[in-house]
Amino acid sequence: MASQVLLQALFSPIQCPPSKLCFTSSCTASTFGSRNLPLISTSISRRCSPLIAKPSFVVRADSNSDAVSASDNVDENPEASDNVDEVPETEGEQILDSASEVEESKPPRQTRVKLGDVMGILHKRAIAASDEVRTTPDLRTGDIVEIRLEVPENKRRLSIYKGIVISRQNAGIHTTIRVRRIIAGTGVEIVFPIYSPNIKEIKVVKHRKVRQARLYYLKDKLPRFSTFK
Amino acid sequence: MSIISSPFSISIPCSNSSSSSSLSFSTSFSAQFVKLQQHQRKRGGAMVVKMSLEAGVGVMGTKLGMMSFFQPNGEVVPVTVVGFKEGNIVTQIKTDATDGYNAVQVGYRRVRDRKLTKPEMGHLEKAGAIPMRHLQEFRLQSVDGFEPNQRLVFDELFNEGDLVDVSGTTIGKGFQGGIKRHNFKRGPMSHGSKSHRQLGSIGAGTTPGRVYKGKKMPGRMGGTNRKTRKLKIVKIDKDLNVIMIKGALPGKPGNLLRIAPAKIVGKNIPKN
Repeated sequence: MASQVLLQALFSPIQCPPSKLCFTSSCTASTFGSRNLPLISTSISRRCSPLIAKPSFVVRADSNSDAVSASDNVDENPEASDNVDEVPETEGEQILDSASEVEESKPPRQTRVKLGDVMGILHKRAIAASDEVRTTPDLRTGDIVEIRLEVPENKRRLSIYKGIVISRQNAGIHTTIRVRRIIAGTGVEIVFPIYSPNIKEIKVVKHRKVRQARLYYLKDKLPRFSTFK
Repeated sequence: MSIISSPFSISIPCSNSSSSSSLSFSTSFSAQFVKLQQHQRKRGGAMVVKMSLEAGVGVMGTKLGMMSFFQPNGEVVPVTVVGFKEGNIVTQIKTDATDGYNAVQVGYRRVRDRKLTKPEMGHLEKAGAIPMRHLQEFRLQSVDGFEPNQRLVFDELFNEGDLVDVSGTTIGKGFQGGIKRHNFKRGPMSHGSKSHRQLGSIGAGTTPGRVYKGKKMPGRMGGTNRKTRKLKIVKIDKDLNVIMIKGALPGKPGNLLRIAPAKIVGKNIPKN
């Protein structure tokens, strides 16, 4: 069971950058027994050997000095060819053997950002920046919520919107919630981007137990199910 | 006569007839030599340059995706995120004396040297540059200040708030009909109509007795080179090596883009 888990953990991030691969393999190598290591390294070598032709990875390093010089090779090659189409995946085998030495001897290594991760990183950074200004609580469908919104044109006091969250659309920085309420006899649904700088405060007042993710059925039900004082 | 240039064409100056000009259309090579010079021979054999002048040197980038950007005043702007692979190195400087026009040739996207042919590798080694896949030229009025193997850094060339022109290959839509391709209106769906999405009439009667050339008809749509003009740069992120441009850009994420300063009449279009 454990070996199966280990195999899956090592096989799934094969497409990841070599830095990620070395860290995951190093942490798993340190936790599991050494008798698992020979099994996994051979299976990875069988899978990865048709891809590479880099002579620097053929030599296995057991001693500390060899690991340092080999890891220098490991560092230079990804710097030069990180954006090359095929990622050299055999670094995994070598780093399995000298995992702990690689980590300790090369801490200030700059991990190159892959272009495929940039969008995720941008969204995370934008959300972190918005969290510094104002923390956003965890909003779920069914929360009865009160939102204080500043309208830049008016510069009056903040407008207050209260209602039940009927849906949440996750889109990174533009994650939105739809809030429904009966105002002056008519049902009103407003969409708020929860990380917007115009929203000054979001407060969860109550929570109603619901069994759907989107409460669109409230549009057809009686108005009293959508009224909130 | 007008010459339609496809993005994957390289013209070889033909020496057989001096009065006619012709382009050889070739399929894409392993290195996409886009936007290189298209020459035309005039009567008597003199060369005429067809590429238009740019307002300044530009860079090449990769479209990464789109997201929303909250501006400081609270306004939300849809932005396209453009990333930069290793490249944007000057590979050749063309001057009036040597080539008949002034241009800067820029390479993009480092590849393994096995992926390029030996002539391409030799061309890049002459500049001392790394092996790169794409080469594009930016025709300028003056090429001072550029040297071979000079790295073009996008945050020196562009600032936030600048207007840029971005061109790239659009999304291919395949063989499409008149309605999608040329915004034709469809016929009625009921009331006995037998024509819903057809072209309708394609010409007059006995005079002229033929269909005009260039009549809008179904055909392949998309997959062409298009330029979107006057887009604002919203943000430049130096540590991620990323530019955020307001609006949408041609192609899907992963597409090659050519970003140049916007050519605005009266401001920076060079007078020739």
